[in-house]
Amino acid sequence: MDMRTYSTDEIHILEISGRFDANTVQPVATWLEQTTSTPGARVLINLTDTTFVDSTALATLVQALKRCQQMQGDLYLCGMRHPVHKIFELTRLDKSFNIFSDKDCALQAFVK
Amino acid sequence: MTLRSPEFVCLDLPARYAYLHLVSESLADMLHLADGVADLETLIYNVQLATHEACTNIIKHAYRSFDQGRILVEMIVHFEERLLQIDLYDTGLPFDLESVPEPDLDQVHVHGYGLFLIRHLMDTVTYTAMPDRNHWRLSKTFCARRCQTI
Repeated sequence: MDMRTYSTDEIHILEISGRFDANTVQPVATWLEQTTSTPGARVLINLTDTTFVDSTALATLVQALKRCQQMQGDLYLCGMRHPVHKIFELTRLDKSFNIFSDKDCALQAFVK
Repeated sequence: MTLRSPEFVCLDLPARYAYLHLVSESLADMLHLADGVADLETLIYNVQLATHEACTNIIKHAYRSFDQGRILVEMIVHFEERLLQIDLYDTGLPFDLESVPEPDLDQVHVHGYGLFLIRHLMDTVTYTAMPDRNHWRLSKTFCARRCQTI
């Protein structure tokens, strides 16, 4: 797994490549804990190149979402591959997260 | 390529997360040998995820802090019956699969999706605590292109 982080227009962006699972989750969890603890943080997680998401990764995303909401911030997901999106549908987590087809759509949503 | 005889792969792995990608890659390679499978990408992903979650459960709960545990993974694809069967064996602490409740999906949970995914992504899931080891069996039939995969 590789992770890339950068900011644009005060939006913190995380891009995850490869497997996002129990073996690779720790650096993502650490970055999300730091980033979403800031009041009003705007965070985008780009999963375009994420090939696998397990329940440990889901737990990390849910924790980050809850923390972000407590701090009056926003956390969006984008670029989910079809099988990954099906898992979000199965667990109904697609109702809790704002999920966008790609990064541009997500960035536009932050502006609105 | 059409194969008539079953394809069998066996992995004897240290019970560590770092090795679980080997199980995923084996499942993908095995299922790619089957002809005319409907929505092959989703089928592969779903059985990879269910098997990964069962292995994760073994590492996290059966072995807990014991770092010398092993997982024996036996995977077989029966092409004629269009059946994938995965057997997992560990020598860690047993648990009662039936006692674990389904998560309330109307609520957002941090934990509790692992067993839910195993149950819902496979056709049948059994867990047997035997005197000398524990045994998971996960089974999934796969359809021809004309039928629908979940």
